[in-house]
Amino acid sequence: MNDALGHRSSGSIAQMLTPPSKKSSISCSVPSLELRRISKRFGETQALSEASLVILPGEIHALLGENGAGKSTLVSIAAGRLAADSGQILRGGSPVSFRRARDARDAGLALVPQHDLLIGAASVADNLSLLDPAAPFFESAPTRRARVAYLAEVFAFDLGDADARVDSLPVGTRQRIEIAGALAGDPEVLILDEPTAVLSPDETAALFASLRRRADAGGAVVLITHRLAEVFAGADRLTLLARGRSVKTCRVSETTPEEIGGLLIAGAEGAVEKKEKEGEKIFLEGKENGVAREDAAVQAERLGAPGGSFTLEEKRRYRNLEVSGFAPNVASVVRAESVSLSLSPGELLVLLAIDGNGADTIARAIAGLEGFSGRVEVGGVPLPTSGDPLAFRAAGGAFVPADRREEGLVAGLSLSENLALPDPPGRIFLDRAAMQARAGERLVAFGIRAASSAALAGSLSGGNQQKVVLARELAQRPRVLVAVHPTRGLDLASAAAIRSRILDACRSGSAALVVTADPDETQLFGAPLRVVYRGRLSAPFAPTTPVERLSRLMAGLAA
Amino acid sequence: MKRESTARHLAVAATALLAAAAALLGLALLAGASPLDALRSLAEGAVGSNAALGETLARATALVLTATGASLAFRAGVLNIGLEGQFLAGALAAAAVGPLLSGAPGLARAGLLVAGALAGALWVLPAAFLEARRGVPEVLSTILLNLVAAAAVSGLVRGALRDPAGDYPQSRALADAVRLAPLVAGSRATAAILVALALALLVALVLERTPLGLKLRATGLAPAASRAIGLPGARLRLLAFTASGALAGLAGSLEVLAVTGRLYDPFSAGAGYTGIAAALLGGSHPLGAAASALFFAALGAGSSAMQRDTGVPGALATIVPGVLVLAVLAARARLTPKGA
Amino acid sequence: MSGFLVVALLLAAPLLLAAAGELLLERAGSIQIGLEGTMLIGAFTAFAAARSGAGPHAALLAAAFAGLLAGTVFALFAVAGRADPILVGTAWNLVAAGGTAFAYQLFAGATGSVLEVKTLPTLVFGLPAAVLATFLLPAVLEVFLARTRPGLALVAAGENPLALAAAGRSVVTVRTAASVAAGALGASGGALLVLTVSPTFVEGVTAGRGFLALALVVFGRWKPLRLVPGALLVGGATALQYRLQAGGATRIPYAVFLALPGLLALFALAAARGRGGAPKALGTPAP
Repeated sequence: MNDALGHRSSGSIAQMLTPPSKKSSISCSVPSLELRRISKRFGETQALSEASLVILPGEIHALLGENGAGKSTLVSIAAGRLAADSGQILRGGSPVSFRRARDARDAGLALVPQHDLLIGAASVADNLSLLDPAAPFFESAPTRRARVAYLAEVFAFDLGDADARVDSLPVGTRQRIEIAGALAGDPEVLILDEPTAVLSPDETAALFASLRRRADAGGAVVLITHRLAEVFAGADRLTLLARGRSVKTCRVSETTPEEIGGLLIAGAEGAVEKKEKEGEKIFLEGKENGVAREDAAVQAERLGAPGGSFTLEEKRRYRNLEVSGFAPNVASVVRAESVSLSLSPGELLVLLAIDGNGADTIARAIAGLEGFSGRVEVGGVPLPTSGDPLAFRAAGGAFVPADRREEGLVAGLSLSENLALPDPPGRIFLDRAAMQARAGERLVAFGIRAASSAALAGSLSGGNQQKVVLARELAQRPRVLVAVHPTRGLDLASAAAIRSRILDACRSGSAALVVTADPDETQLFGAPLRVVYRGRLSAPFAPTTPVERLSRLMAGLAA
Repeated sequence: MKRESTARHLAVAATALLAAAAALLGLALLAGASPLDALRSLAEGAVGSNAALGETLARATALVLTATGASLAFRAGVLNIGLEGQFLAGALAAAAVGPLLSGAPGLARAGLLVAGALAGALWVLPAAFLEARRGVPEVLSTILLNLVAAAAVSGLVRGALRDPAGDYPQSRALADAVRLAPLVAGSRATAAILVALALALLVALVLERTPLGLKLRATGLAPAASRAIGLPGARLRLLAFTASGALAGLAGSLEVLAVTGRLYDPFSAGAGYTGIAAALLGGSHPLGAAASALFFAALGAGSSAMQRDTGVPGALATIVPGVLVLAVLAARARLTPKGA
Repeated sequence: MSGFLVVALLLAAPLLLAAAGELLLERAGSIQIGLEGTMLIGAFTAFAAARSGAGPHAALLAAAFAGLLAGTVFALFAVAGRADPILVGTAWNLVAAGGTAFAYQLFAGATGSVLEVKTLPTLVFGLPAAVLATFLLPAVLEVFLARTRPGLALVAAGENPLALAAAGRSVVTVRTAASVAAGALGASGGALLVLTVSPTFVEGVTAGRGFLALALVVFGRWKPLRLVPGALLVGGATALQYRLQAGGATRIPYAVFLALPGLLALFALAAARGRGGAPKALGTPAP
């Protein structure tokens, strides 16, 4: 196993750093790794139910699935980071059990997880030494540099200057350092959790080239990704997970992006619910016609603005949201560039994107939670580019974050207290009566199920928490509502309720920008949409665009 | 500094009190005294007479205020470990300004207290600046400011503030007319304790019953959510930070005004640190913190009597608050499910 | 060597030793602001051992052992128990200050007389071997952190604990080891004080040196070798102040000497970019 870097007690660096050998001894019929009927539960959530995965030697195997399908959980179990509730792991045909990450590593499995594994303040050479399980107790600087040079050469990776601080390097280089670190132990099975999420197209191509060399040498590669284009360009086989189950495994050559795209979406929704959703769609379409297309001037007039012809200044004033030449300042390769969009009263725009394409950071930056360059105006008021949530709100903005537990609510405060923020009533003392009244009214209006308005926000279910967030955000009749994945993880009834609240708000003059990863949701909103892929916004599409076409666009395939 | 439900907090407090009682009895046994005698002597020394009660209340004044300050900061999510330094800054200001103030005693007292509160608030500002601008944890900077304040007291009572008439390095005494008179003859308790308790009540009201208090609590409980909701987090933190500094500074000036009458070195017996312990024991609620502070003060007053009567060293009064805090932390760790 | 220089080095050594231990713990991602308490425990243990018939070297060892225990207790609460290290440290100072005062009163009885202990024998230049070793320690730590495997793991625990956990290593183990080492070094620092310059124990004998050592770590921006100039500066300033006091010339503002380390560390923080080199995960609980 450690033929590359394991035996370094004697001999020169060149000697101990021999290239990995081709593992011809392993028969192709015996899988390198097999996960059989793995189940795992986290509290209320069944993350995996009898999911299976078979990895053959010499292949690049793509693991696909929507967010929350259980991909990361499955590979964490394979790598010994998590213990499965039930199921079996076979390595080279014989059952194994991993109690710790080290056991999996010793068995020749390496996982590069999604989160950052490097020490920013240390050099490339130091980081790679730390990632090498066979590194000796003491190591001189030249030996560490030699490791960098060796790994760079063997895997044809540009790892940057060995003495450079890692936090000074571009994200693509950091990604390669992490992968090189995992490869240093010469694992037979290399598992990469969304390695391409932060890479540019060129970097992605380089990564796939080196993974292919790895597979040709007999190693197995498991790759989690959201990008179908990559899968069809670079992988040999794929396994699709949906709601914790493995729903399809096949050779890439035996299927098409359309089929997999369709399965991905169907899997995310579930067949029965899909039908219900269609029913809901018909119901909503009856009600919603025309709302999204209401003319800005008409809307402005209805809101009491002067009628007749508008000057440019006036038009700008009655634009609820105006974004131009905009780019969020976030440290990621996939970031939006030069975004322009504008919303008038009553308008709703859906940004449709697979996670990691920059749609959520666009929304966060508009809401003032990230800095940005370019121009953002809410109701004609320009917002500071440093990112200021207070300015966004003062101009009439409202925001529903993706992470409702971390950013949406104060879990340790009661419902009435949460609903009273950010400007609680009362001159000297809190007007508890007003708070209770407001909370009571909101609980009923939004159908929030809670014991009382004195219940802690943290004690509510996810769907009810999201309704509380929306109830608070819509209380001030915002000019613009920015909502990120407002229905993610909610049951069907809650999701429908959330959507109809957002549409209600638009009907009474607000504008809304909704980020979602679910193409069906755009139809349910009945609003125009733009697809975000790698930070680029597509031209607007009608809500009636077929889901198949949308999922191709989301995956970066030509429509 | 999250607050837990009342029931859970009571369970934690009960565990802690048990640990403290065990420590008390164990130490008494270690010192070769009968635990019962030691306890009786402790109780009598703390609350057994007017004089004893007066001693407890006199000691409690500074503790109640620093504990209130700590609670206010903790609830807003500010780890102000610099209460000791802010206390000393307040005492220093009182000692510097006190002898200069003439005229009506009431006016002089007010000036002295304002100077103390101001000095305490000012002593926070370098830490607040470093935290806001550089992301330097307030814990580090406030510890450093404690050192500087202790050094300033030590230096100034030997230098600029030294009483030329005295043999010891200490500042000039306040005029007797300015100093607070005892509430009851033969007792050391003054109106200062009433001021301290009133302020604890006021801070409790602000935190629990006012719009500002709700915003402060939200910021402390969930900084990320508060930012997204649109609360001015930085400003709220600064407000809580300086207000807690002002409370500690006021404690320092009240100590000079009501108890010592002058500044000497070392001046503080750890009021800032014991105040933090009291706040933690009281669940960072100003009233709970004040009650804990009264308890610690009683322990201090009682242990002096205990040492005199039974020979058990009075240092016990410093050990027990520490043990209590450790017990609270351990009980919380046990009562909190992993990953929560 | 001149008497002044010897005194300066003797005064710098306890600070340097304690600061070196604290640096290890902080680089591992935890922080013990109760270092003052640990130094007091070391000072008292050395004093009690020496008064009970142990030689000065044995007394130093006894103090180091007490420090091991102190570091273990701290780690139980703040590392394994994941309690806030700041609160544990605050409580620790109270327990240690009270505990050593309590123990001293039991040990020495009510006698008002000063109980002296034998100091460490000098090796060269009027300095004991332990003091000389103390000045070598930062270089050793520098190599340890930069070039060894456990050193790298320790840095990882302080910078990116998730990464360490992902590599299958236990952050709790690494931080506990650092805490134990920090306890031993801190207590030895307290013992050095009693076994060299002030050969007796009084309540609060460390006189804030634990806090000074915390300041030195910040001033040295968490780099072992950078602790040395700070420690020498403070040791020299204290020695100078002793000499001036002995000469009767107390005109130089005494406060300047005392406030120096704290002020220097504050300026170092203010002048540095970012957090001044503080470990990224300083004070955060282990994953």
